Amino acid sequence: MNDLYLAAVINTTFRYTTPVLFAALGSLFCTKAAVFNVALEGQLLAASFVAIVANYYTNNAFISLLAGVGAGAFIAWIVAVFQIKWKVRDMVVGTAMNLLVQSVTAFLMQIIFGSRGTVQGFGMVPLTKINPTFLKFSPFLYRMFEDLSTIDYLGYIVAIIIFIYFYKTVSGFHHLSVGISGTAADSLGINSQRIQIRAVVISGILCGFGGVVHAMGNVTVFAENMTSGRGFIAMGAASMAQSHSLVAIASSLFFGTMLSLSKTLQGYINSYFTEAIPYLCTVLAITIYGVIISIQKRRAKKIL
Amino acid sequence: MKHITKTYGALVANNSIDLTLQKGEILAVVGENGAGKSTLMKILYGLEAYDSGEILINGESRKFRSPHDAIDSGIGMVQQHFMLFPPFTAAENIVYGHEPKRKGILFNRAEASDKVKELCKRYGMYIDPNVKVADCPVGLQQRIEILKVLYQGVEIIIFDEPSAVLTPQEVKELLKTIKDLKQAGKSIILITHKLSEVMAVADRVMVMRLGQLIKTMPIGETSIEEMSFLMVGHKLETRKIKKIGQGSAVLKVEHLTLAGTGERNTLDDVNLFVRRGEIVGIAGVSGNGQSELIQCLTGILKFQAGSVIINDQDVSNRSVQEIRDSGCACIPEDRYYWGNAAEATLVENAIMSHYKKSNLMRYGIFHKKNTTQFANDCMAEFDVRYSSDKQAIQELSGGNVQKLIVAREISQHSPFLIAAEPTRGIDIGAIDFIHSKLLEKREKGDGILLISSELSEIFALSDRIYVMYEGKIAGEFTRKEATNDKVGLLMMGGTLNG
Amino acid sequence: MDEFKKRKLVDDVASPLIAILAGLLVGAIVMLLTGTDPLHAYGEMFTKSFFKPYYLAETLVRSAPIMLSGVAAAVAWRAGYINLGMQGQMCVGGLVATVMALYLPIDSWWGTVLCFAGGMTAAALFALIPTYLDYKFNASLIITTLMLNYAINHVTNYFVAYPMRDPAGDGMAQQSIQIAKSMRFFRFSNKNAMNSSVFVAVLVVLLMYFVFTKTKFGYESKITGLNKHFAQYGGIKSMKTMFQTMALSGALSGFAACIEIFGVRYRYVNSMFSSTGYAWTGLMAMLIAGYNPLLTLVYSIFLAGLNIGGTALQRTVGVPMQIADIIQCCITLFVSVRILHEFKQMQANKTPARVGGKKGGTT
Repeated sequence: MNDLYLAAVINTTFRYTTPVLFAALGSLFCTKAAVFNVALEGQLLAASFVAIVANYYTNNAFISLLAGVGAGAFIAWIVAVFQIKWKVRDMVVGTAMNLLVQSVTAFLMQIIFGSRGTVQGFGMVPLTKINPTFLKFSPFLYRMFEDLSTIDYLGYIVAIIIFIYFYKTVSGFHHLSVGISGTAADSLGINSQRIQIRAVVISGILCGFGGVVHAMGNVTVFAENMTSGRGFIAMGAASMAQSHSLVAIASSLFFGTMLSLSKTLQGYINSYFTEAIPYLCTVLAITIYGVIISIQKRRAKKIL
Repeated sequence: MKHITKTYGALVANNSIDLTLQKGEILAVVGENGAGKSTLMKILYGLEAYDSGEILINGESRKFRSPHDAIDSGIGMVQQHFMLFPPFTAAENIVYGHEPKRKGILFNRAEASDKVKELCKRYGMYIDPNVKVADCPVGLQQRIEILKVLYQGVEIIIFDEPSAVLTPQEVKELLKTIKDLKQAGKSIILITHKLSEVMAVADRVMVMRLGQLIKTMPIGETSIEEMSFLMVGHKLETRKIKKIGQGSAVLKVEHLTLAGTGERNTLDDVNLFVRRGEIVGIAGVSGNGQSELIQCLTGILKFQAGSVIINDQDVSNRSVQEIRDSGCACIPEDRYYWGNAAEATLVENAIMSHYKKSNLMRYGIFHKKNTTQFANDCMAEFDVRYSSDKQAIQELSGGNVQKLIVAREISQHSPFLIAAEPTRGIDIGAIDFIHSKLLEKREKGDGILLISSELSEIFALSDRIYVMYEGKIAGEFTRKEATNDKVGLLMMGGTLNG
Repeated sequence: MDEFKKRKLVDDVASPLIAILAGLLVGAIVMLLTGTDPLHAYGEMFTKSFFKPYYLAETLVRSAPIMLSGVAAAVAWRAGYINLGMQGQMCVGGLVATVMALYLPIDSWWGTVLCFAGGMTAAALFALIPTYLDYKFNASLIITTLMLNYAINHVTNYFVAYPMRDPAGDGMAQQSIQIAKSMRFFRFSNKNAMNSSVFVAVLVVLLMYFVFTKTKFGYESKITGLNKHFAQYGGIKSMKTMFQTMALSGALSGFAACIEIFGVRYRYVNSMFSSTGYAWTGLMAMLIAGYNPLLTLVYSIFLAGLNIGGTALQRTVGVPMQIADIIQCCITLFVSVRILHEFKQMQANKTPARVGGKKGGTT
């Protein structure tokens, strides 16, 4: 196996990480406000679909991006109204919304494109790519970072911004306080409901970016249910990061690696089994994480 | 406050109440649980809306839609249940909602810390701005709450049952703080049912009962007996405890030790026993290991060393069911967390831990008539007020829920009963009833372990009293030996000399 | 009927009805946006699902796996364990049962019973994997059950793509060979798929209703779901409840899969449980029914009819069949909003006051 192959694998990893990272950031942004958002999957899928539709009609990457992000935010807003305003149970809202987005996108795909399966071509444009020519001195490094879209870089910047938001600003401080105790926050004059709704909508915006880059980042295509559980993988990544945005970068990269491995190993192992890899790895990862936490807890307890 | 009226459906919480507070005075509002004093204060602080009446501050009529409005008008409240964020520091909690900012969006934590230090100096209360609230003992947490209120620049401070969670020593400090605040020019409303505190600091006192204002008078013109009489509506007779002989030990706890995660064990070498026919009380401020002790005795927590013997059987670290089967019933300390399932029906709640009995269930299938009959009998005997046995238990008032739980546990007819905070937060009628039922059980020859943060309850019912402090048994008294001072001293970690 | 029973009846019946109407309304709006006449479309939909014998038979047949997976979900969710893996459990149960049917030497009805037992056991064990991981290591049941859905779907598809593939016909379809005729459920006529397994399904659902309301297991799992601390305090063993509930949930999903295979398809087909969405439809039926098995039965038939009608609609009017999914998702959302409950609260605060009343007051 030559060097460049490894670089290519890493490159693919970056690509697969981005949607997971954005969704994970969305997940922890909600968790920090004590909102359990199960509809990340639907938010991602809606964004992917609307971005492709916009791309189909306008052939413009920027407008498609805006449309996709808007779709993610819109779905999240519906989730917020049902879950926070009308106090519907989180599992019900999330599951129903995920299924709803699945069926609406399949429905619209038939209506707009007249086809089931995938939507490709039609002069649709991909996202703007960045090619770091200054890295050309090392073919390995250049291949690693070749052809990544702007949004791929944006993910890491957003993670840092979220970190600064929580620990340096007053607004982030209130957000964290709502996550600790909504009743206390309300009694002290901070509208916890408003903060929670805002958190969900922002998670929708973040998932919006994730969905757009998923559909337009590499090959510009939409396939039915193309997110295939990434929303839930992202939830796993966020919980393993203990809802810390910087650590979420690491856990998302881990899952991105698993996702890219499932593609690269297709040459060696039957594709049916490689497809199952990311899901089994998620289960394994959160299990091992749980093992570590329980060992830590047991060590902390000792008789004096 | 003029003619304030507030109803919740069929219940009148406040019936045309008038309250006047002069500048620089301490007004005490007294009454039993359910009298309506907390409701009145929630209205004043903007947490609840009133149905009719008027609030005037310095002569101007005000409408409070939220605590924000109340604070803007200069009213602050130190609530009974602290509204703190444990992971944050003291300074962060104190400035919450009015944080000093840098460039409009950044949190200036350094300035917050300075402001807190200033406040401490001005009012003579000390707190480390950077200590995490989770690491502070309850008395310190209350101080943070007071500083929070002062930071907002209020002139009127409401204290809602502030001494409920404090040791007697901390209560003395609190009363001193209240007097200092009065010196600093603040006007104070003190809600309490501890009449000794009222006598110690109040200028005037207002008595409420069942939603009505009974009387308002200057402190010089009244006494504890009069206030007590007005609060309850009739003379309280001190209950006579029948003298009966004690039998063998039904509970024996030896060297019980439970590991902790900090510098000390949660329970440390606890030794105690309860005999048949006696009520043994454990006095102590909440949080000194009582909850954990109950959980170890009932099998919910596993402990590392020591033994628990109930009804002559060693049940150390056995399962909850095995411990119940050995003859132990338990009235839990938090009726909502441990004691019932809110959406379940009254029948379903009543049969818990009874349902395996042969007349209620056979081969895993319930006998509907018998279970319903059993539940209704329980509730009738214990005076539980309800509309239908199929309604969800969350529709009952707190007192009735507690009575149902007490009914359920006493109907186990077990030789040993743990009664944890059996009358917390319920009205005087229900308290009286439950006390009489506990004494009834004692006279039958069963043993009861009573755990309560209400010292008066411990003194009223116990044959013997243990004191718990920081996970250890600090002392033991018989009814004759125990005095408020001695017990209070041990409760806060002191030692008796001689 | 006393006041309380009256109130409960209104809540249980009216809320879902309002939700269903609201869901149908949303469907109508969507249809209007695509240029279809909703009244005509709904007319088609309901005749082509309930009012013609062929379609009614299809609806009932389809409702069987749906009601079973709905009850499977109810068993677990009611006890507070969020099992999202019914689909995966169906795949495992179905595949194991098919393998047993194809390779076991027994060919009669006893063979079918054995296969069902095998499939249900396999599905139950499969459900216990994430259960164990959650119990021992706190690995969220929601994530693990869902992940295993995706994973096992791929793995079972592999089996019918390679080792178990039926070479008959053009060999393009990825499915197993058919099971023996003697192992299949009795089919009533050649014109539709109605068969005796539907009655078995209904019986099982009725049995589960009995289990929920009258048995120790039903009581213990209900209380565990409402307040697990109360359950622990009362002596209910949380581990036993968790494992028993999840195993039963898995077994019921396996049973649903076997019904579909031995009653309708007679073979294991690639993605047969993920493309049809029985598990998710069943879940939604259960949510609309508020965990009640009897109501789940009713709503399963309703949702099955919606799906059948939707397919027919695609053929005749040209509206994509996903319209049925859209409507049922909306119904599920609306039913949880408890509109009536909010309305009642407002009414309650207006009744005249009684001084010092003790019923239903504050603390």
